[in-house]
Amino acid sequence: MKPSSTATGTIIGLTLVFLIGPFIVIILAALTAGNNLAFPPDGLSLKWFIKVFTVESFRISFFISMFLAVFGTLTALIVGVPAAYAIARYDIPGAGAIQLAVSSPLIVPGIIVGLALLRYLVIPTGFTIMAALFLAHAALILPYAVRVVTSSLQNLRVDVEEAALILGCSRLGSFFRVVFPNIRGGILAAFILGFVTSFNQVPVSLFLSGPGVRTLPIDMLAYMETTYDPSVAALACLLAIMSVGIVFLAERFLGFSRYV
Amino acid sequence: MSDFVSVDKLTLAYGDTVAVPELSFGIGKGELIALLGPSGCGKTTTMRAIAGLMTPKSGTIRIDGRDVTRLAPSLREVGLVFQSYALFPHLTVFENVAFGLKMRKAPNIRERVMAGLESVGLRDFANRLTPDLSGGQQQRVSLARSLVVEPKVLLLDEPLSNLDARLRLEMQMVLKDIQKKTGVTMIFVTHDQSEALALADRIVLMKDGRIVQSGLAEEMYSAPRSRFAADFFGFENILPGRDGGLLAWRPTAIRLGDGPHEGTIRGMSFGGDYRTYVIDSALGEIKGSVRAGLPAFGEGEKVRFDLPEGEAVRLEAA
Amino acid sequence: MFENKTTGLLLVLPAAVFASVLFLLPVGILLSEGFAGSEGGFSLGAYVEFFSSELNNTVFWRSLRLGLWVMLTSAVIGYAAAFSIVQLSPKSRGRVFALIILPLMISPVARTYAWLVILGRTGLVNQVIVGLGLSEEGLQLLFTETAVFIGLLQLFLPLMIIALISSMENMPRDVVPAARVLGANWFSVFFRVILPLTREGLVVGGTLVFAGSITAYITPAILGGSKVLMLETLLYQRVTVANDYAAASVIAMILVVMSIVTNLLLKRLAKPRNRRA
Repeated sequence: MKPSSTATGTIIGLTLVFLIGPFIVIILAALTAGNNLAFPPDGLSLKWFIKVFTVESFRISFFISMFLAVFGTLTALIVGVPAAYAIARYDIPGAGAIQLAVSSPLIVPGIIVGLALLRYLVIPTGFTIMAALFLAHAALILPYAVRVVTSSLQNLRVDVEEAALILGCSRLGSFFRVVFPNIRGGILAAFILGFVTSFNQVPVSLFLSGPGVRTLPIDMLAYMETTYDPSVAALACLLAIMSVGIVFLAERFLGFSRYV
Repeated sequence: MSDFVSVDKLTLAYGDTVAVPELSFGIGKGELIALLGPSGCGKTTTMRAIAGLMTPKSGTIRIDGRDVTRLAPSLREVGLVFQSYALFPHLTVFENVAFGLKMRKAPNIRERVMAGLESVGLRDFANRLTPDLSGGQQQRVSLARSLVVEPKVLLLDEPLSNLDARLRLEMQMVLKDIQKKTGVTMIFVTHDQSEALALADRIVLMKDGRIVQSGLAEEMYSAPRSRFAADFFGFENILPGRDGGLLAWRPTAIRLGDGPHEGTIRGMSFGGDYRTYVIDSALGEIKGSVRAGLPAFGEGEKVRFDLPEGEAVRLEAA
Repeated sequence: MFENKTTGLLLVLPAAVFASVLFLLPVGILLSEGFAGSEGGFSLGAYVEFFSSELNNTVFWRSLRLGLWVMLTSAVIGYAAAFSIVQLSPKSRGRVFALIILPLMISPVARTYAWLVILGRTGLVNQVIVGLGLSEEGLQLLFTETAVFIGLLQLFLPLMIIALISSMENMPRDVVPAARVLGANWFSVFFRVILPLTREGLVVGGTLVFAGSITAYITPAILGGSKVLMLETLLYQRVTVANDYAAASVIAMILVVMSIVTNLLLKRLAKPRNRRA
């Protein structure tokens, strides 16, 4: 009494074509040998992929995005791991309000945060845009880091830590000798999730851009407005391949999806 | 006081809920005692306070003459075998057992760990990861891990309850053997009277955070003083005596087939050596056991029975 | 659980302060600015002015309308897809599931850009239309509501499918075959069995899709341009083109309120589920 497998197969096929198809189109379009964005491509070549690397603003914004993703995520983890530990292990007074504050970056739309930071932090205090971007990205990743690490901690029994205390460990010692080795996977998963989130982030960075300081996705949006050549398509492919590669490796060696 | 471990007017609370009010008891050196009681009676809480995992509201805990009430767990020289075993999942069996010695920067770690593993029969498992071991093996690793640091007191949380019948007997022997060889003072927590009887020299029976009765295992078994204790140790028939006091009988003490009372058999359970009958009578529900070899009664059958006063245990009123 | 509350508080405080100072405080100031009168004091002038503009009204209602349409469409496709995926063997189910999640990890800019190639004047769709002789020179597809709708649907459909799959996996086993054996046709199986049992997943998925759609920036920016503005693109335009912070503050308030409402809704729904687990 199952639905026919032809019907379900067709539905799945069409859904995947709609979700994944555009990527295949854009990959082929980027491989064109012609000068216009077109599908089917006008002959095949890698010239647009090579051109991506010669555009200076792309190079700069790529490194800015990389920097924000790596160091923003690290900062979020440094602040977030202790918070996750407290949430998982302590009965904190006012836990509801604190959790709400920590998860506020998930609730407040990013574009508003970017605008608010520009208007009330960067302009009046002379804070650099780069510093504001860095803090905003770190705060944006914080709730993801806290969530993933908290659930990882909840899978580690408390009595394992208590055993370490009784065997002669200090609180801090038991964190580094017993807790940390057992939540390493969760921390790594949080790092990857944070990295991808930050790297792909647009709304927060939208207003936080200035001369020479732009994240890669913002730079791509700006480039698109002025130039209609396939280099953005090529760049989009490269980014997609990078994200998919990272997630694939993380899934392979870490079982990434069970943390997210 | 000459007690090796002494608990004096200990009050333990979770927030505003008092779990244990003003508890006092003492344990001699080398004794093996059981904290026995139903769940929620405060036995585990008391054990956690002795280990230092819980800070008392008031009262004192002394180990070997030293006041440890506010001392960190790491400085108390106690061992604790958790009910879940609480092995470090990222370490091998060897590293688990070596953990406490490393913390103490002890010499000869290798030899001491191997000797510890030898004593629980796990010498060949030294390099295995702990999640790969069976429950019984994990428990023995946990035991070895607690013992190699030579604690003054060894605490065990429900040490037999997760084991099947065969392993239970084996673990009983291991624990008795440890007591004999090392002379360590042991306190274990259990909700199962048969575990307490099988293992402990002395039993402390608890209810609602208070001690109901404590004494030698045999004494507790044969002479419970209160209704609660009698019920806990299997005196299933508790009736008012002629003088207004309470009398208690085990099902095996009830004589079936003859006697001054009459009742109807409502049900039967077969327990190997005995058949135990549930009888409805004017005295209320009576449970009586008869040797399995004797002829059986049928359900609904009328049966006469006797409550021999000589076999009864007299309880203190209440 | 450890007892020492102060330690716990000290550990969590940096994170709470960090997020509040960077997110809540500036946003709070921005929102309060929308209530400031021109000579100080409290005023709803900004709101009155905002909603008296026809453009702003159009954008506001368009955002709601598009959000609703994307939500409904993704629910319809989502049910068909999720139900089909749940029928697969565990192994192929995992593979298809991975493919559904995949787009979520890819830059939304990259994901949306692909539609330029497909919907452009000489794009894939128009080649087919012209090829079939349906139109001489192709249709204007880009910078229309349809384009934005398609882009949003592709962006958020995976969220709906994931929510529905997890809801369907929690359905008691074999209820669908049981209903079929009892004589129900597929229509009544869906409305009497599947829909009531997956209501929770539908609401979770629906809220995520709706909230995502009305607060989207990238898709309307690329596929809608200045012709099809939505709330966030309007906000960006008001600030960069007109320096109109009053309007920005009003839009920000609309976005924040929507976001809070959807999050409350989600939280309320997520709770009983946790209890059961």
